[in-house]
Amino acid sequence: MHGTESAAIRLDNVTKRFAAYTAIQGIDLEVRAGAFVSVVGPSGCGKSTLLNLAAGLIAPSEGAVFVFGQSLYGLNRRAGFMFQQDALLAWKTVLGNIAAGLRFRGVHAREAEARAREWIARVGLRGFSDAFPSQLSGGMRKRVAMAQSWIVDPDILLMDEPFSALDVHTRLRMESELLELWTASPKTVLFVTHDLEEALALADEVVVLSAGPASRVVNRYGIDLPRPRHLIDIRTEPRFADLYRHIWAQLKEEVLRSYERAS
Amino acid sequence: MNERASRRLPIAVWQALLGAALLGSWQALVNAGKLDKFFFSRPSDVAARIVEWLKTGFIWPHLAVTLEEAALAFTIGAASGVVCGFGLARAPRLGALVDPYIRLLNALPRVVLAPIFLLWFGLGIWSKIALGVTVVFFIVFFNTHQGVRDVDPVVVNNARMLGASEWQLVRHVLIPSALTWVFSSLHISIGFAMIAVVVGEYLGSARGVGYLISQAEGVFDTTGVFAGMAVLSAVVLLVGWGVNRLERWLLRWKA
Repeated sequence: MHGTESAAIRLDNVTKRFAAYTAIQGIDLEVRAGAFVSVVGPSGCGKSTLLNLAAGLIAPSEGAVFVFGQSLYGLNRRAGFMFQQDALLAWKTVLGNIAAGLRFRGVHAREAEARAREWIARVGLRGFSDAFPSQLSGGMRKRVAMAQSWIVDPDILLMDEPFSALDVHTRLRMESELLELWTASPKTVLFVTHDLEEALALADEVVVLSAGPASRVVNRYGIDLPRPRHLIDIRTEPRFADLYRHIWAQLKEEVLRSYERAS
Repeated sequence: MNERASRRLPIAVWQALLGAALLGSWQALVNAGKLDKFFFSRPSDVAARIVEWLKTGFIWPHLAVTLEEAALAFTIGAASGVVCGFGLARAPRLGALVDPYIRLLNALPRVVLAPIFLLWFGLGIWSKIALGVTVVFFIVFFNTHQGVRDVDPVVVNNARMLGASEWQLVRHVLIPSALTWVFSSLHISIGFAMIAVVVGEYLGSARGVGYLISQAEGVFDTTGVFAGMAVLSAVVLLVGWGVNRLERWLLRWKA
């Protein structure tokens, strides 16, 4: 706005209603360029709505969304999106899926394939380039999805509980790989999860949303854990435990409130 | 592999035995005079007739006509079904407008159309193709329609976030998804195309397997009727087997 916009994403008093249901109400949120921000909140608190707004997949009912200082109309062309559900093109091979974004943007087939092969190696899927998604495990499909969204090199990555369907150990590995990728090419990440531990381990900042309907931002916490982080051990570090207790005290109230409203 | 083969062998043997028993008792009943040969013919006579047809080459032109009609009926019906199904799914208001009429037409038993098509298109192959098209079109139309509407919105959103334009969305997401449904109905629509053109031939034509059967009936040649039926079944089974293989290949990405 004033030429010094350093926010990659800014939500300005955003409200989103679906018919009579108000998902989020008057949310102000700023994500600094290059930051890794996690959003946590009880289920049904409008976390996904927040991401869809930032992606431009839905438009706010009130308020405005800004991307690098410019107000967003239609799709957010500077963002990649990693979905909670399986979103791969089932009829394309691993190679075809990873190359898809480049092909859509007009990159020549041969170059797109060559770059897709690099990414296949990077996410540890060598030997699977001709496999179809249905032939892969859940963790492998997530790797494909990760390469698929990173290969087009977006400035912003929106991640909607991307690892929630994985078992604990696969999940830990994927989180580590995500952090490695992020360290190698820093992007602005907005990472939605219901798991406070995951949010803490990954992010620079944790945003807590209140129980829905009409969710709002309850509080924001800076996470001063040093990087690079070793996710295998981080959960047992004293500072991690302190932060966890501190934020959980707040999140717990919202979770309990969401139980009350559900019953 | 070996284990599987040895477990499969017995059922194939039993199947062959069942067929042999049925044909054998048919043959025996006729030979013993319990069944009238004039009404029921005899397996040995039917087999002899088929061999004769194959030897003299008499059957081939008729079979070729029937297959040509079925192939054209399928191609035209499937192409128009895909186009219309896609178009109406992408233009929901138009789809809603014509929906009752499409259902109305689909509810019509196709056989009653055969005489009208004979009037319109004559005794040649096109009246049969028209009949086949009316059958294939609706199968493919409904499957395409369903296929386009069935696309997972998450997959569509993913493609859009990856930068797909409207046309790329159609080409890389909607068409493949719709084709899934069309492919999985291939053997039904091809089988129905065969049946429809044979019915058309049966009701009025100068060539084709349906014509053969109807001619044989006209002169009370039951052997010819059964031979025609046997040839037709064998061809439909053969085509179905080929289509199944094709379908497996086209849908190889499905687990």
